Amino acid sequence: MTLKECYTAIGGDYEGVLSRLRSERLIQKFVLKFLDDDSYNQLCRTMEAKDYAEAFRAAHTLKGVCQNLGFTELGESSSDVTEALRAENGAEAERLIGKVHEDYKKTSETIRDFKAQAG
Amino acid sequence: MGRVSMRKQKILVVDDSDMNRLMLEEMLGDEYDIIEAEDGVQAISVLQRQGDEIAVVLLDIVMPRMDGFGVLKVMNQNNWIETIPVIMVSAESGTTQVEKAYEMGVVDFIMRPFDMLIVRRRVVNTILLYAKQKRLIDMVEDQIYEKEKRSSLMIDILSHIVEFRNGESGLHILNVRTLTNFLLWQLVQMSDEYNLSKEEISIISTASALHDIGKIAISSKILNKPGRLTDEEFAIMKGHALAGARMLESLQFYQDDPLVKYAYEICRWHHERYDGRGYPDGLVGDAIPISAQAVALADVYDALTSERVYKKAIPPETAVQMILNGECGAFSPLLLKCLSDNAEKIRKEVQEKAILQENTREPHSLGGQGFSLERVGMSERTRRLLDYERTKYEFFVSTTEEIQFEVTASPPMVILSKWGAGKLGLDETTTDPANDEKINEVFGEGTWARMAKSLHNTTPESPEIVFECKLHYLGEDHWYRIFARAIWSSDDPPQYEGALGKAVDIHETRMRLEELERKASRDSLTGLLNHASAREWIRERLDKKVDGNFALAIFDLDWFKSANDNYGHSFGDSVLKHVAEILKHSTRGADIPSRIGGDEFLLFLDCTVDPERIIDRIFNTLNCEFENYTISISMGVAKTSDVGRDYEALFRAADQALYSVKRAGRGRYAFYSDSMKDIFIAASELGDRMES
Repeated sequence: MTLKECYTAIGGDYEGVLSRLRSERLIQKFVLKFLDDDSYNQLCRTMEAKDYAEAFRAAHTLKGVCQNLGFTELGESSSDVTEALRAENGAEAERLIGKVHEDYKKTSETIRDFKAQAG
Repeated sequence: MGRVSMRKQKILVVDDSDMNRLMLEEMLGDEYDIIEAEDGVQAISVLQRQGDEIAVVLLDIVMPRMDGFGVLKVMNQNNWIETIPVIMVSAESGTTQVEKAYEMGVVDFIMRPFDMLIVRRRVVNTILLYAKQKRLIDMVEDQIYEKEKRSSLMIDILSHIVEFRNGESGLHILNVRTLTNFLLWQLVQMSDEYNLSKEEISIISTASALHDIGKIAISSKILNKPGRLTDEEFAIMKGHALAGARMLESLQFYQDDPLVKYAYEICRWHHERYDGRGYPDGLVGDAIPISAQAVALADVYDALTSERVYKKAIPPETAVQMILNGECGAFSPLLLKCLSDNAEKIRKEVQEKAILQENTREPHSLGGQGFSLERVGMSERTRRLLDYERTKYEFFVSTTEEIQFEVTASPPMVILSKWGAGKLGLDETTTDPANDEKINEVFGEGTWARMAKSLHNTTPESPEIVFECKLHYLGEDHWYRIFARAIWSSDDPPQYEGALGKAVDIHETRMRLEELERKASRDSLTGLLNHASAREWIRERLDKKVDGNFALAIFDLDWFKSANDNYGHSFGDSVLKHVAEILKHSTRGADIPSRIGGDEFLLFLDCTVDPERIIDRIFNTLNCEFENYTISISMGVAKTSDVGRDYEALFRAADQALYSVKRAGRGRYAFYSDSMKDIFIAASELGDRMES
């Protein structure tokens, strides 16, 4: 799997990110680093504890990271949760978080596969 | 570029996401040194320590602990925002956020998603812009300094001409300036009534040099007449006030210049009196401008304390007293208070400034024009020196196992050395430590607030404090000695800026001392007080509670020697320990049990109720079985109500009671009564006879 194929599989915008960061090496480095990023786990923890103020920060961070990496799908679903939490609408956020879980699972699994291949 | 490359400029990246910081570092790390901060509090801590090295700050908005706007607020409060450019990093495109950020001094925005070219370009542009601005400020500052130095020089020369004609030394002008400056500073500290800025005080002080220029219009015959002036001559002499004012008034230009305005006030009204009996206009109270009031007082003080053709110098203490007594004019009570409260400081100030010959006068800052120059003007050499000192400091801190800390007054914050923070389980940086839960838990409730207050109450001459306190960490209390030194600014008057300090572990020493003290006062076998310390405690108790009723009991174990002989000494020791345990359990906190030697014990009781019942109870508890050995005791008791409150008398009386019990066959207790005195005397006579 090439990096571009990896992006296609996770619903990302490879052309966009390449035009912004201008280096495949750099993009690959950031994509692999995404697996270590803690903001998704933090979002899960805080949502579970119904600590919506902290959850807002975590969702906001996750959204920002996705935007930077051009992970369009996960970026959009986490952005939806961010906006719900910004409006202090916990129920709405609970409803929307499922999509984030789904997108994150797909994204992280695909990157892991890519990493295994890239060695 | 060779290996010894130019020093890279530093960028502070503030973002709570590792990922985002990593991306920015990748984009900028080749060209710049990146300092990272995970939240606003860490960012402030970095800015506090090395703000003057930071070329630009990249600041996220949404962060835990303190967000981006919080950082901007602190940067504004400290005026850092004027010299350290901030670029906001954000995905927020809401106009209110952007507007707010610009209002708070943000230079530019970088929007997510990051575009490498844009990020690099914005950073470079901002750095260049600020570097250029800084160079310009440096140039302007140099020019202003030159210009002010020259105009000050002109004023000094002009005033000196007047003084020269007057036969006075140039010191008078200098002293009046120093005093005026000092008095006005004290005045604005003491009262809000006079709304004087730092700049205004500086201008008034400069203008004070011109107070006597009107004397140029007075004939030198009158001016330098050695004897007393006639009424007519004095009337002419008085004309110098108005003459000076007219000279300034007739200047064609500069009428709106604050220096000219203040010089006019000073020339015209520096001989007015607060009670309205001065000249030339007879103004009363605060109708006299404060500039002229301050100069008048400074003028009188210096005239008194300096030598003149017609008089000797008067000692400063006498001069202040004379002024306060109203012998040398009438002044505002507030100004007089400024003088009397600071008499000693004023004496020193005048002396020091006279010695320095004012080579170090500061130019006015460009206040109100957007930049404060004091902060900006730092040469490359100074910066390098500062760098070196900082590296040295950081190295020593990192290699020492000591709890060190830095305190800043505004914003209130403490920065602990890395090792110290780890040891105490605290964050390296804490804002508002006096109200911080964790700090109060470790240092004890209120300790930090008290320390901050004591530091604030120090003086630049003696800025150090030392105290001992318990620090609570890892679930235990540890004794520490805290050394701290307040940092005072070099302003006039000095401002409290913060402090440096360290906490030294004295736990072991302290514990050993307490243990020694405990050991020395206690019997090693039973842990009861020994006789000497029991005596001290009892005397103290007797002295402290003068209306209390007490009883003192002495008892020993009957036939104890035979227990030792039959069962061995270690068994004897066990018996003594057992008795001591009973004593400890059957007495209350206010009572004092003691082993006074061998098998003899003493018990001091605080008797709010009848002691006979208590004694009876304790006596019965003591007579018991211990490992098949029957403990029997004999006890004598004396009450303060019978014997009085002297310890020796109490002890003797109890001893006599014990003796009478023994004579009557042991295994009982008795209270001392006067009849025993005779028995005792008789018995001791008998004893004497038997021994002889």
